[in-house]
Amino acid sequence: MTSTPVQTPTLHILNKAPEHSRFAACLGALSPGDVLVLSENAVLALPARRNELPEGTLAVSADLSARGLEEAFAAQSIDYAELVRLTEQHPRIISW
Amino acid sequence: MSTLIVVDQAPYGSWAGREALDMTLSLAAFDQPAALLFIGAGVNWLRQQQAPEGIGQKSLEKNLSAAPIFGVETIMASASDCQRYGLTDANTLAGVVTVDDTKAAMAGYEQVAFAG
Amino acid sequence: MTDSAMPQRNNEGFLEDASAWTPEVARVIAGESDIELTDNHWEIIDFLRDFYREHEMSPPSNRLFVKAVKEHFGEEKGNSIYLMQLFPGTPAKTACRIAGMPRPTNCL
Repeated sequence: MTSTPVQTPTLHILNKAPEHSRFAACLGALSPGDVLVLSENAVLALPARRNELPEGTLAVSADLSARGLEEAFAAQSIDYAELVRLTEQHPRIISW
Repeated sequence: MSTLIVVDQAPYGSWAGREALDMTLSLAAFDQPAALLFIGAGVNWLRQQQAPEGIGQKSLEKNLSAAPIFGVETIMASASDCQRYGLTDANTLAGVVTVDDTKAAMAGYEQVAFAG
Repeated sequence: MTDSAMPQRNNEGFLEDASAWTPEVARVIAGESDIELTDNHWEIIDFLRDFYREHEMSPPSNRLFVKAVKEHFGEEKGNSIYLMQLFPGTPAKTACRIAGMPRPTNCL
């Protein structure tokens, strides 16, 4: 590519388990300034693939709690209201 | 708001693609700009002469060809994935635009949703 | 048409097999809703049959039915009032039922 387009900050919402091919596709598509939120089975990446996730990765509280992970990853946890706020703050959203 | 629905799964193996088409048509029904992008094994949706009677399903090729009638203006496919699956101008659904850079194609939409 | 000649239908009156449809079947199904089929009805029914042959689906919703009719026949016929007069109730459902096609998937 000859010119790099200005990146619009993008919110990535990923709901696939780490073994799903789209999990890798999503991590590969992240640009600096993007925000990654893990939901549903993707929250399993926190115990399993922690070092591959970018700094500041977030996860949906209800999905962490459902899987017994809320206590261990309280620092990453966000509730639905915060997720809604993030969707409002980002001009671009990709739902993986 | 413009929405791009991305299909990366092969046709017939699951319902994900049909749901994607449904979602796209629903957006079009309410005059929301919607487009489709086929990547990976999803490009096999676009092959001509699908004849799924033997597996008891309706032709996704024929279903998909209704999209422009309902106002879905753009159907794109990854050029490299088409090549990988042997899809050429001669055997691909008419009106499909192949794109070299799928990331750039996605960047043109405010909402991008993967199907299934 | 005797009951035995009527092709099999589901609990909402849609044909199980679109290929079992005949114009006579259409008249019988229309009659159940007190609709007498005129040329204006047949024009839409023929359009829907062609649509089904080409796309193997019914227009998924009423809005998309109206949109498809508008795309084909123009504004004058592609509007919900005109289609509602011909096919009372939910026009897409009523018209698809008479045309022997599957129930539109998104019509509640």
